[in-house]
Amino acid sequence: MLSQAAERVYWFSRYLERTENIARLMLVRHQLILDLPKSIQPDWRLLVKMLGTEKGFDNCRKLDNEKNIISFVFSDRKNPSSVISSLTSARENIRTTREIMPSETWEQLNSLYLSVDQRSDKNLPRSQRHKVLNNIIEACQQITGLLSGTMNHDAAYQFILLGRNIERADMSTRIVDTASSSLQGNAEEIAPYRNVQWISILRSLSAYQMYRLNVRRNVKSEAVLNFLLKSDVFPRATAHNLAELEVCVQKLSNHGLPLEAIRRLSAFLFDSDLSVMRDEKLHLFIDELQAELGNIHHLISDTWLHPER
Amino acid sequence: MPTTPKTTPATAPKAATKAAPGKTKLPGFDWTSYDPGPFYDELIHSPGNARAAGQGIASYFKKYSAPAFQKKQAACDLAIREMGISFTIYSDGENIDRSWPMDIIPRVIPLKEWQRLEKGLIQRLTALNLFINDVYNDQKIIKDGVFPLALITSSKDFLKACVGVKPIHGVWANICGSDLVRDDEGTVYVLEDNLRVPSGVSYMLENRAVSKRVLPHLFNNHSILPIDDYPSQLYDMLASLSPRPSENPEIVVLTPGIYNSAYFEHAYLAQRMGAALVTGSDLIVGKDDCVYMRTIDGLARVDVIYRRINDDFLDPEVFQADSTLGTKGLFSAWAKGNVGIANAPGCGVADDKIVYTYVPAIIKYYLGEDPIIPNVPSYLCVNDKDRQHVLTNMENMVVKPANESGGYGLLIGPTSTKAERAQFADLIRANPRKYMAQPALKLSTAPTLCGNHIEPRHLDLRPFVLQGKSHYVTPGGLTRVALRKGSLLVNSSQGGGSKDTWIVDTERK
Repeated sequence: MLSQAAERVYWFSRYLERTENIARLMLVRHQLILDLPKSIQPDWRLLVKMLGTEKGFDNCRKLDNEKNIISFVFSDRKNPSSVISSLTSARENIRTTREIMPSETWEQLNSLYLSVDQRSDKNLPRSQRHKVLNNIIEACQQITGLLSGTMNHDAAYQFILLGRNIERADMSTRIVDTASSSLQGNAEEIAPYRNVQWISILRSLSAYQMYRLNVRRNVKSEAVLNFLLKSDVFPRATAHNLAELEVCVQKLSNHGLPLEAIRRLSAFLFDSDLSVMRDEKLHLFIDELQAELGNIHHLISDTWLHPER
Repeated sequence: MPTTPKTTPATAPKAATKAAPGKTKLPGFDWTSYDPGPFYDELIHSPGNARAAGQGIASYFKKYSAPAFQKKQAACDLAIREMGISFTIYSDGENIDRSWPMDIIPRVIPLKEWQRLEKGLIQRLTALNLFINDVYNDQKIIKDGVFPLALITSSKDFLKACVGVKPIHGVWANICGSDLVRDDEGTVYVLEDNLRVPSGVSYMLENRAVSKRVLPHLFNNHSILPIDDYPSQLYDMLASLSPRPSENPEIVVLTPGIYNSAYFEHAYLAQRMGAALVTGSDLIVGKDDCVYMRTIDGLARVDVIYRRINDDFLDPEVFQADSTLGTKGLFSAWAKGNVGIANAPGCGVADDKIVYTYVPAIIKYYLGEDPIIPNVPSYLCVNDKDRQHVLTNMENMVVKPANESGGYGLLIGPTSTKAERAQFADLIRANPRKYMAQPALKLSTAPTLCGNHIEPRHLDLRPFVLQGKSHYVTPGGLTRVALRKGSLLVNSSQGGGSKDTWIVDTERK
């Protein structure tokens, strides 16, 4: 497989996953805000914080109200982490690797893109939000399923898995980090809604039902952290993503360095005691996880995508 | 041609009973209102009567009203957008892909007629390949005084570097897209031979896929030759060029990249053949003069390159030094027989509007046969007599530069202004070798949906012919149609559209 094609497939997979994740994050935020009483100001800003685009948003010099945040995250092409930008990048990457993917993948992604692009100038009013975001999530999952069910599970497919798992690990750690920090600062008023917020974090990662099944206890911060970072059965948990990466890279040649880094991070995560992680300590811990994930990405790139550099 | 009265009246009442009660059915299209004028129409042979091969199509549109077929056209356009069938227009700013324009009414050609054209196309390509091989090797045709040496030495497509090279099977032009046109008498001519990097075959295939999706019941009324086989025929032909005999030669499609107007097609063909789609920077020529591609497992040997970039850009060592599209050393790897390249470098020497005028003589010389499909009568401005004829009859002629493609830089006499003609006359006098002219043909028409009405529009046909170890011709080809009323320009970059093309077997039901 061409290195250049591997790179495009890898990024296609990351952007597809990112599209799904952003859409879900928006949907959950939307639902949570409907739950909150009028006296608590919904923090729409958290959405851009979670996506790491707070600076980009501030540069637009717009009020951080619902309408502006939603259109920034959904349809602003100047925001590289918007739904439309991620879809555009996914589409460009697949457009240039059409010879590798099953042809239906292109058709489905293209029609998803067209459906979002056509409404790009609208700012997704509340009445349509659920339907539109849900459609995007479903369409992304359909493509993921299509690849799993119709594509050869060859080298190209390993790059799809690598991209997907790196992106998932990145998103989960990011959400855990931002969301848990937003829960700090014990305003008494917020107390009754803490549980709702934890549930919403789980929902952001499509994890609520699986958490219940697997953990079988009430939603508590420590248990949620454990589930989202260390579960080896939940497909968006970091430990599970690392295990997947470990299997994938071994199916590719010259995997020595990436494999070593993945195993090192897995061990680090396994040995960490999350029950003592709070506030600043948790934040630093997650920073470290993210830095290591970045390192794994670079090793993947150096080994297979740009070997000559 | 006798019409079979069986189909038309039988279907009409059936449609009437189909109409839902309570709804008033709008009238269908009245073919007697369709008037192709002095032109040969591909579907209709006299007012209201379809040719035998198009009976089903005519009666289908007779049943449906304008809003119904506009709806079909909208479904067709949507399918094209969703399937991402696009083409690119140069210097079109940010918009790199545009949806491919396709008219829903198919163009029909009877099988009997097609079988003759198919033979003619194979005859033509066979002779052209013998010519190219001869020109770069023994030059017998020049020694025998059939073809003037001066035309070779003055041709910018004659590559000195190719002299003495003998590609596998002695074939240089492996893929040819010849443009066929029909005049008002019904005679089919070859208008030009595209031997460099002919494009359009993916649109031919996609047009069929779209019409199957949008007009499935139309297929029931005809026996139509399938065309889906092309990618595997192309693969087999390319595989026959491999220097290393093996079951699975490594075949790549070499594209200039995503901004090329035919990028869609490059990706499409690579996908359908299961070949890698590469750009010049993915390839590297080793010290052993073999071609390799950069893969995730290191370098891998390449056996055959289906190149979709022009000769000039292929190898900066031999051709344009500043080209970043090609790969250093590619030419010598090919010349040494270590890699197959289709089409071979230098084959453009036979794709020249001046050489074109010699094709009947070339066929006669190498094959001892008369051409099955005639050339359009042509005048070479380099010959004094011909040039005089062109200059005095310009308003009835099409004047073309000898080696440009895409409908650029030509003069269409009947629609030109006096000033344009004067300007071209100066150009011709200044550089006669560069120009040739043909009488303006009264191109045939076919019914085309224009807004809410069906009107005649001019068209041509580009079949694709393969030659490696053996021959293959696509059943039909890409029909290009000039969407503007009265226009003869069918190129997609000049406002042309396309049609699905059906080879119809009228003797089978």
